[in-house]
Amino acid sequence: MADRVERLTNLLALLLETREPLTLDVIAAELGGQYPDGHDARRASFERDKAALRDIGIEISSETLTGDRAGQMGYWVVRNEMEIPDLGLDEEELRALQLALAATRPGSETGREAMWKLGGGPDDGQVFVAMSVPTAEVLPVLRGALGDRRAVSFSYAGVDRVVEPWGILLRDGFWYLVGHDRSRGDRRTFRVDRIGEGRVTVLDDAVVVPSDFDIRSALPADPMMLGADQHSVRSARVSIGRQRAFSAVRELGHDRVLARNEDGSVEVAVPFANLDALVSWVLGFLEHAVVLEPDDVRDEVVRRLRAVAS
Amino acid sequence: MSGGRAARSAEKRLRRLLVVLPWLMERGAASVAETAQRFDISESDLVRDLELASMCGLPPYVDELIDLFIDDDGTIVVGVPRLFLRPLRLTEEEAFELLAAGRAAMQLPGADPDGALNRGLRKLAVGLGEDDTGVLVVSPNPSEVTRLAEAAREGLEVAVVYRSRTRDEATERVLSPFLTFQDHGNWYVMAHDSLSDEVRAFRVDRIESMEVGGASGHVPPEGIDVPNTWFADADIARVDLRLGPAGRWVVERYPVDEVSEPDGDGWISARLAVTGEAWLARLLLRLGDQVEVVGPESMRSVGREAARRLLAVYGET
Repeated sequence: MADRVERLTNLLALLLETREPLTLDVIAAELGGQYPDGHDARRASFERDKAALRDIGIEISSETLTGDRAGQMGYWVVRNEMEIPDLGLDEEELRALQLALAATRPGSETGREAMWKLGGGPDDGQVFVAMSVPTAEVLPVLRGALGDRRAVSFSYAGVDRVVEPWGILLRDGFWYLVGHDRSRGDRRTFRVDRIGEGRVTVLDDAVVVPSDFDIRSALPADPMMLGADQHSVRSARVSIGRQRAFSAVRELGHDRVLARNEDGSVEVAVPFANLDALVSWVLGFLEHAVVLEPDDVRDEVVRRLRAVAS
Repeated sequence: MSGGRAARSAEKRLRRLLVVLPWLMERGAASVAETAQRFDISESDLVRDLELASMCGLPPYVDELIDLFIDDDGTIVVGVPRLFLRPLRLTEEEAFELLAAGRAAMQLPGADPDGALNRGLRKLAVGLGEDDTGVLVVSPNPSEVTRLAEAAREGLEVAVVYRSRTRDEATERVLSPFLTFQDHGNWYVMAHDSLSDEVRAFRVDRIESMEVGGASGHVPPEGIDVPNTWFADADIARVDLRLGPAGRWVVERYPVDEVSEPDGDGWISARLAVTGEAWLARLLLRLGDQVEVVGPESMRSVGREAARRLLAVYGET
């Protein structure tokens, strides 16, 4: 029996060059003995080959024929749909893409195959600054739906959802999908790696992304300013111990420092609009941060601590 | 990179063949050695698959076959280029891989918005008909990272004052940086460390001061890689929590092993990696009455004790 690669290559050549759809009988005859004789075995082999070609990105077109071959399926491959268009990437741009892969997805087989298709050479650049970019099986499908403006359905936290995708965001090492959750009638953010079982269905429903939606503000950078407007921002005076003073000042900025003490601690002014978020930020320092004023903030911290201590 | 590889599947061989053939057809000729190296395949596998391809095409018409042969001195020669002149389209996975990598790299210190990478990404988007405007990568870039990356590039050493979180003391060290990288929102520098005489990863936000010095004399060890499974480490302790409706953000924010479905009151059970007792104490204080530690026993009192210590600081009991 012929090598399967040989049969697949011959099948692909035949379907690419044909001027009319070919039935399985014609294909088997053209390939002269490379498919089994029995009807069922032949059909099964052909279906396996179709699936193998689809796996590497080649879609076989098909239609039900009419005329003297009425009722039979005819098959062919459209060359334009199979081949990569000329993207006009120059050497420098190819190298830059290659370095980007090396810096963010080192050792990625998918990335390497993509670069070969684009005409990139061996990966030889050295990387000095890098970021770990996680991958998730459902990301390409979600992005496809986002680009095509289609709704998707998936299971999340044990619940089936229908979501209109508005944007995809990578922050702090996690991918997020932001969109309108039809089941909840509200905007929701989903962590992509927790979307159930790798199954996302792209629906036919068209999606309109609101013109004022900005993915940059989908996850607020600073939770303490949640819900802030110019009238609601207050300020808390917080003492930060020596051991954490450095990183707190780095986070807040030097202009927020009210006093530097001899023991290395600092007093800082922390603007906030959301009391819960501020308390959460302060507690994150454990005993290295103490709220000095206002009193209602200090009282809230103590109340929260008492609840945990009891 | 040859020998010792497992039997290759027909799909994998065909996929490789369909990038090798257009490349050969465009060049007309290439050596077996160069081609094998470029496409990371053993020479014997390459020769076998090319010889097979040279018998493929449209039987029985001889002039419709893939027209190539390998001559005695190991050169692959293409006659008439035909059939497979261009590589296949990028799959969805491949397109996303490039886009995500490019978008992330554009956020790294030193990326130039008018540079080759951004130009390449734009051409990709146009050529593939991809609308990628909805994909965004956010990354904080402290200025220290830029300086450490430059030191790595120039092979310079950097004197730092580093505050270790576990022992809570500042130490003076001389680092020879090889790579700076971001993982889960935190920046690290992989460097040779004068104090331990080892290559280690240091958190950039714990470097209190730094001064770039002269040539370091340390060369990067082989196989320095960006760790992308930081938290998957099985050695890290786990804690089982019950989380109330207002505490469920935890499973969105931190890596979890398991999460249950919400019960009637909206509480869920989750198993999380614990990177340290202080980390767990912070988490428990922030969650307040929205969390319950199920186990292990040793972690059940962590929140309570931290709260008592803190109340003492506030002068309350």
